[in-house]
Amino acid sequence: MLKLLIKKEFLTALRDIRLQVSGTVLLILMLTAVLVGRQGQKQIHEEREKAQSAMYDKWVNQGAKHPHSAAHYGQFAFKPKPVLSFLDIGLDNYTGISVFLEAHKQNEILFSAAQDSNGMTRFGEMTAALILQVLLPLLIIFLTFNIFSKEREEGTLRLIHAQGLSMRQLFMGKVWGTYLMVLLIFLPVILMAYLMLDQQSASMDPTVNTKFMLLAAGYSLYFLVFVLLCVLISAFARNSGISLIGLLGLWIISCIILPKATSNLADKVYPTPTQFEFTRTIKEKVRNGIDGHNPSDSRLASLREKVLKEYGVETIEELPVNWSGIAMQAGEEYTDQVYDHEFTKVENIFKEQNKISEWAGFINPYLAVRNLSMSLAGTDFYHHVAFARAAENYRRQFVKVMNKDMELNHKPGVAYGDYKVGEEMWTSIPAFKYDLPDPISILSNQWRSIAALSLWLIGLFFLSSAYAAKIPKL
Amino acid sequence: MLHVIHAYDTIAYAVLKLKIGFLMLEAINLSKSYHDHEALTDLNLSVAPGEVFCLLGANGAGKTTTINLFMGFISPDGGQVKVNDLDVVSNPAETKKHLAYIPENLNLYGNLTGLENLQFFSGLGGEKADKSSAEALLSSVGLQSDAIHKRVSQYSKGMRQKVGVAIAKAKKAGNLLLDEPTSGLDPQASNEFAQLLQEMRQNEVSILMATHDLFRAKESGTNIGIMKAGKLIHSLKSDEISLTELEQLYLETMKTESYAEATH
Repeated sequence: MLKLLIKKEFLTALRDIRLQVSGTVLLILMLTAVLVGRQGQKQIHEEREKAQSAMYDKWVNQGAKHPHSAAHYGQFAFKPKPVLSFLDIGLDNYTGISVFLEAHKQNEILFSAAQDSNGMTRFGEMTAALILQVLLPLLIIFLTFNIFSKEREEGTLRLIHAQGLSMRQLFMGKVWGTYLMVLLIFLPVILMAYLMLDQQSASMDPTVNTKFMLLAAGYSLYFLVFVLLCVLISAFARNSGISLIGLLGLWIISCIILPKATSNLADKVYPTPTQFEFTRTIKEKVRNGIDGHNPSDSRLASLREKVLKEYGVETIEELPVNWSGIAMQAGEEYTDQVYDHEFTKVENIFKEQNKISEWAGFINPYLAVRNLSMSLAGTDFYHHVAFARAAENYRRQFVKVMNKDMELNHKPGVAYGDYKVGEEMWTSIPAFKYDLPDPISILSNQWRSIAALSLWLIGLFFLSSAYAAKIPKL
Repeated sequence: MLHVIHAYDTIAYAVLKLKIGFLMLEAINLSKSYHDHEALTDLNLSVAPGEVFCLLGANGAGKTTTINLFMGFISPDGGQVKVNDLDVVSNPAETKKHLAYIPENLNLYGNLTGLENLQFFSGLGGEKADKSSAEALLSSVGLQSDAIHKRVSQYSKGMRQKVGVAIAKAKKAGNLLLDEPTSGLDPQASNEFAQLLQEMRQNEVSILMATHDLFRAKESGTNIGIMKAGKLIHSLKSDEISLTELEQLYLETMKTESYAEATH
């Protein structure tokens, strides 16, 4: 019985010229977005890989110099373009792509695509994610707005009911028939995207296949939620006009108004400091201490006292090691503490803002799938932070190596310009490598979005089952 | 004065019930209101196997409400409606098995062919028809073979009604409910439709038909009921009244102000 209903819904939708046209346009749009997106992702990734390798070559071939000069000479870390970013660009255009790594300072990640583009970038690129999250639901609305009312208006609902079919069976037939139609558009896109994952993708991210499957599953779930919601609303609407207005209103609220309102609310509840405030606080805390009672002069004095005591000498000149190297590493570690303290504060603000967006998924499934999709594509805030941490750890590590060399090998009395190290030292620092977070950490990080989508699905099935029998027959 | 024949009084019901065990379609003191409007008041009627009961009346007389109550599309406010001795309200699924139905405006699914429509509806009714038997059924109701595989959006009303009859026949139900099935049909299509009714009647199907067409009621019906303002004013055997007499009775009933006056 269900098979028969699904077949009928599928056939009638498939033969509807308006749906043929809109479905084909959407399919072409998505295939183009996937194709262009993948080309773009490959190109950007190769560019960044080349840049990363060129910068490391420069580091290795910087010539002989003092290790501290090398620490200031610095390196660059380029954020790899995640493979699945061709499906969902997420925050990638806004979060910056490279960071200069040097002694004493934790620099910002700069050069976001939005910085280099015109204002249109802020309206979002035509990515597969945008089409899947925003435009495909529009097609679902056109598929379903009169799914019951048309039958009611044309009298076929009476005839169906006369065959002894319950409204619950009819409802589920319509849901699965529409869903099949949606899958007919979604599956070619997802299949094509899958075929585009090559050897290079796997070498860049070994878990890319798992993430891809999870992404496809997430979208499949979202479409089912949207189909259920639309069919349910359409079933109880008095006529096609009311149903269309209601569903379009729902679309505008969930895809346009609520996301904006949610981010405004998040910003209101957890305001982020301005760049000026942030930089000033860091400078102040480096100078006066994290708590404001430990200025840099007294920190240096107590360190000197401690080191002299440790080596059993009276003056710095008597030390068997390089005092500057020790002082610099200590200063480095203190600055790191200040940066960690301040960055963690800002990160926590962003995390809290993101949490509001994730919780909002419980009232808006669009937000749930948007957050999940960005996360699995590797283009959300969580991934940005993971890259920033990896780059910062790398910076600390190589600056530490430089300082240690200075402490141990730059003998007291030797002038700064006379102590130099070369390629052997530079190559002892491996090139920067960043591994994308694994699927388990992504899923655990996105539990709210997954729970929201699941709850929507369970809730809608429950509502359908409870109220389908009450759908008006006449 | 017109000779009014009351075919079913209480004794006649009892005799008929004794004869066949139960009446196929039966309305007992049936009432239905929409807000303040009484659409049906204390309706009593029954249709035995092989009978065609035609309900005549103006728009709003309660004909479609009666059909809708038998189909379970709406629930009665009072009384009982039975199909094969089963209460429609308490056995909605079971009674549907014994009912076939053809509505007034049968639109079907325009994007599907006549054959696909038949296969879909008969499948829902539990009588899955394969391609060849569905084609044969559609031919048997007079649908031309070249039309069978055309989309229904290209069909005339008469052709759609034929598919409707095929759907009803495919269900092999013992009872058929028709809501003004011949309205808008040309005389030839209407005549073909009457022949199909005759054929079903011979197969002992009990038929309840709401219609405006006095001629068709007289020709096809075994029993005729005239309704007005939700009440069954007259119930008569069609072979005991001429078309002219029926027409006069109908017009006179429509003119009268109330049931009391009509039965006076």
